[in-house]
Order: sequence, then structure tokens, then C-alpha cells
Amino acid sequence: MAKGKTTTYKVPKISWKRDFGRNWPVYVMLVPALLFMIVLHYIPMFGIVMAFEDFSVAKGYFGSEWVGMKNFIDLFTGEQFLTALRNTVCIAVIKVTLGFVPPIIFAFLLSMIENKRFKRICQTMSYLPNFVASVVVVSLVQEFIAKDGPLTLLLTNVFGLENQNWLANENIPVFWIIFLLMGIWKGVGWGSIMYVAAISTVSGDLHEAAAIDGANRWQRLFKITLPCIMPTVMMMFVMGVGLSFSTGFEDILLMYMPSTYGVADTVYTYTYRMAFGVASNYSLSAASGLFQSLVGTCLLVGSNALSRKMTDSSLF
Amino acid sequence: MNLKAKRKKGNVEEGSSLHMVEHKSVGDHVADIVIYVVVALVAFACVIPMWHVLMTSLSDGKMAMAYEGLFWKWVGEFNLGGYRLIFQDASIISGYANTIFYTVSATGLGFVIAALTGYALSRNTKLKSPITLLLMSTMLFSGGMVPTYIVIRYLGWVGTRWALIVPGCTNAMFMIMMMNSFNSVPHEMYEAARIDGAGHFRTMWQVMLPQAMNLGFVIILNSVVMHWNAWLQASIYVPNNKKLWPLQLWIKQIVADNQNFLQNANPDYNRYLIQYAVIVAATLPILALFPFFQDKLEKGVIAGGVKG
Repeated sequence: MAKGKTTTYKVPKISWKRDFGRNWPVYVMLVPALLFMIVLHYIPMFGIVMAFEDFSVAKGYFGSEWVGMKNFIDLFTGEQFLTALRNTVCIAVIKVTLGFVPPIIFAFLLSMIENKRFKRICQTMSYLPNFVASVVVVSLVQEFIAKDGPLTLLLTNVFGLENQNWLANENIPVFWIIFLLMGIWKGVGWGSIMYVAAISTVSGDLHEAAAIDGANRWQRLFKITLPCIMPTVMMMFVMGVGLSFSTGFEDILLMYMPSTYGVADTVYTYTYRMAFGVASNYSLSAASGLFQSLVGTCLLVGSNALSRKMTDSSLF
Repeated sequence: MNLKAKRKKGNVEEGSSLHMVEHKSVGDHVADIVIYVVVALVAFACVIPMWHVLMTSLSDGKMAMAYEGLFWKWVGEFNLGGYRLIFQDASIISGYANTIFYTVSATGLGFVIAALTGYALSRNTKLKSPITLLLMSTMLFSGGMVPTYIVIRYLGWVGTRWALIVPGCTNAMFMIMMMNSFNSVPHEMYEAARIDGAGHFRTMWQVMLPQAMNLGFVIILNSVVMHWNAWLQASIYVPNNKKLWPLQLWIKQIVADNQNFLQNANPDYNRYLIQYAVIVAATLPILALFPFFQDKLEKGVIAGGVKG
């Protein structure tokens, strides 16, 4: 604390006039970014007022009729939004728990491979799905689990499950599992990068000493590697929880269909449909979007605070 | 480069010394084999779906349609008919051109903005902290889909190319990454350039930017991948103007309509292959490029995770 104070006093105070006189070219450089942020991020933030209005594009923000909380009441008394909310929560929880572990396991397995060349090739192959466009990934999913798709045939012939188009299945966990597996396929390699990097910084001396003392690889894994990368794991978990509610639902727009809205509709897709669907209602959509943004921000700030309290690591 | 070589050498030494003190039992060797097999299986599982699409696109149309299961190899005669069809199709060609145009212009514009901002924020000015805060708060909270759409509508950009280039071209994350990148350039470089009489723009462009390009390339690569694969913005802002459609929207449409050609009295079965051929044609450029930049992209993930 004291150290910080002395350094702040060392910096000579300069007046605003001198600052601008000396640094005006620097401020000019900031103009494009400020314009960008104000027009495309801060004005939309102000535009949230439309969630409390009966908004029409012609009348604008100030001309539209103020209706207070009516849009939110409509949201929470209607059936569609509540279904979407339940689905969002369930998908987010599944993603944060079950979807969080595979990259860590994959990173551990990679770290135990001694052949560097083999390891590198496997890593490159596992990164590949991350670079495939969502449109393509979803059409792959559709192809593989359609009625005559390779995965459906496998499930039918080997495991004896009913032959069907799995994406059209309206029963509860089916769509969620498909979505989870798709996310894992896309992210297992790419998500392991952070962990592989963290594992590579674990000191080799520790492993050597433990090996001399007779610790086998599993003991070393759980007693040395895992504790050493715990801050990274915590950080990724905090980020995962923080973003779980607000991001990653775009692909559902490509995957769902009216018959599966009961399990596949989420707050994000509901927002999209209300705004750009057949019966468009900008105010209702903005209200639903605002709800999602608020919950997302609370989760991010809350999980970050919790992480800072419990461990030393935090995102911001 | 030097550092990297050193690190590599260090790893090898550590590995070998660990090898010397470790006595592997039979069980350990079995575990080793299992681990190799599992990792290889995961790696293959990541590649096989794309392989399946590639092989289908090279198959005979009629036989491919009747075939059920995974395409390990093309079915029937080796056939480039699907590719011939997509390169005769004016809409797919225009989709290609649009995607390239959007990717190049959005990446270029975004990088210029991010670099200017990064440099400005790395300099010691009075407004540095408040502006950084202003930028970073956009990562925490956003207006959402509809209010953004309304602003772009008021700007008159709906139904134009502008809506696909400007709004998504850069973000606070890229700017902060560039700031960190400029901060890591030795201060002496900046001072030397300033003493030699270079203005801020010249100092940034000629002296500092080449030093800061390490993360700069990461930003450019990420932006290219992002824009090449984007479809949502186009489906929101130009849904009815097919002339402006990027490739991804065409893929979406072609995959959805893949059975339509059967309504013809004498169907051309190569049309069945179009959806596979267009997926390959749209995905291959990125997939062929990324292994060359793998190290840089990995560094980007690590830098983004640590600072984000």
C-alpha cells in the first residue's frame, strides 16, 4: 500500500491543458474507437428503454408510448418465455458441468504422451472442428443423426434404440444431450489449449522428486499436476459460469424447429424470433434480451467475486 | 524463436530425466497404450465428419443417395460433378466473392481501429484509465440484439453491406489485446523515435507496430476465421437481398433444399452432391490454412484467457 502511494506521488501532475497540448494526436487516434463504441454499443444500451415502451420504429425512442413493466409482465405470464427460460437454465447447467470436464481430461491425456510428434498431430486434428463454421457443423449434425444417418444407424443397430431423426425428438434430455455433444466435439481440442499450457509450466523437478519417492503417474497427476493447474481450472470455470447464460445459443437457431420449441427454445432464440420472426414485437424482444443481459452480467460479476474470495484468481 | 528453441530443449531434458528415475511396471505400459489409443480416437472423431462430407462430395450422386452409413471412401465412380455444378452456379460464386469482401474489409477496418486504440491507450495520457474502463465495460454488458438492430436501422444500414462490415469489425477484447501488445514494446524504442522527431502516427506505424505485430497477427487471424464463418449478422441484416448473401447463408439454403431437384422428371443426381461440395469448398480454405498458424492461434487463446 505504502509503496503504491509513493509511486503515485512521483508522477508529476500536469494540467489538462498541457495534457491536451502534448497528447492531442493520441486523442485523435482514439476517435474511431470512441465513435464505434458510442454508436454501436452505448446508444444500444440507452436503446434498452424500448423494453419499457410500446416501441415503434417510426416514433422512435422518445415518441413511443411508455408502458413501464408491461412487457416484462407479459413475458413472465406467457408460457413460451418460461419454457425458453427453463431450457436456457438446463442447457447452461449441463454445459458448465458436463461440458467443462472433457477438455481438462484431454489435456491430461495429451500431457502423458511422450512422443512429441504424435501429440502435435493429435492436437492439430482436435483443433479442426473449432474452425468449421456453425452452419456447417449443424448441417453435419443433421446429416449424422438423421433417420438414415451414420450415428443413428449405429445407435439403432448396436444399441437397439428406435430408428428416428434424433433432432426431431421432443423428449426432455435428447436435444440437450445433442447440443452438449456438439459443443464438446467443437471445443474439446481448442478448450484444452489453456490447460496444456498450464500443465507445461508445472515444474519437472516436482515430478522427478515424486517419481524417485515412488509415486506412480496417477498419484503424480492428482497430487502435483492437478493442484498446480487449479488456478487455471478455477479461472476457466468462472468464465464458463459467467458466460453460460448469455453466449453460445446462436447455433440453436440453426438446429431447432417449431415442433421442438418445447425443449430447444432458449431465451436467446426467443429474443431472435420475437424480433425477426413472423410476428415481430421489438419491445417484447428487447425486454427478453435485457433480462438475458442482466442475468449474464450478474453471473459474470458474481462468479468472479466468488472466485476472488475463495481462491486468489479472478478475471477482473 | 530463440526462446522457443530453449523451451523445447528444456522440455526434452526434463522428460528424459524423469524417464531415468521412473520405473515403469507392466501396468504403466498398458496405461500408456490405452492413453495413445484414446487420444488418437478423439483426434479421429474430430476429423471424421469432415472426411465423410469430402468423400460424399466425390461419390457418384445416385449411389451416394442410396448409400446408408459413413463414407470411408467415395462410393461408385470418382466424380467431380458436384464441384462442376457449384462453379457454374452464379449465386455460389457471388457468395464466395461477398464472403471474401466482408472478411477482408471487416478485418482490415477492425485491425486499424484496434491498433490505433491500442497505441493510444498504451501512451501516458490523463484520459487513459477512464477510456479503458469505458471500452471494457462493453464486454460486461451489452444492449442486446434488438436495440443494436434498431440503431443500425436508424443509421440506414439494414439491407446494405455496411451492416455486415462495421458493427462486428472489432471489439473491446481486440483493443485491450493491442494495448497489452504495445505496452510490451520496450519504452526506449518509443523514446528514440520521438527524439528523432517522429510524430505519433509515424512512431506508431513504423516503429511500434512492427514490434507489436505478434498479438496483431493473432487478432487478424481470429477476425478472418470469425468473419469467414459468420452467418447470423447476414441473416438479420440482409435476409431478403440475396445479392449480398455470404457463402454461409447459401450453404444453409442449399442444405435445406437438398431434395428439391428430385421433382424434375429426369433428375441430375449430381445435384445431390452440391450441398457436400459447397461445404467442402467453403471450409477447406480455413482448414488448409490454420495448421500453419497453429502456434500463433494457440498463443492468442492463452493471451486472451490471461488478460480477458
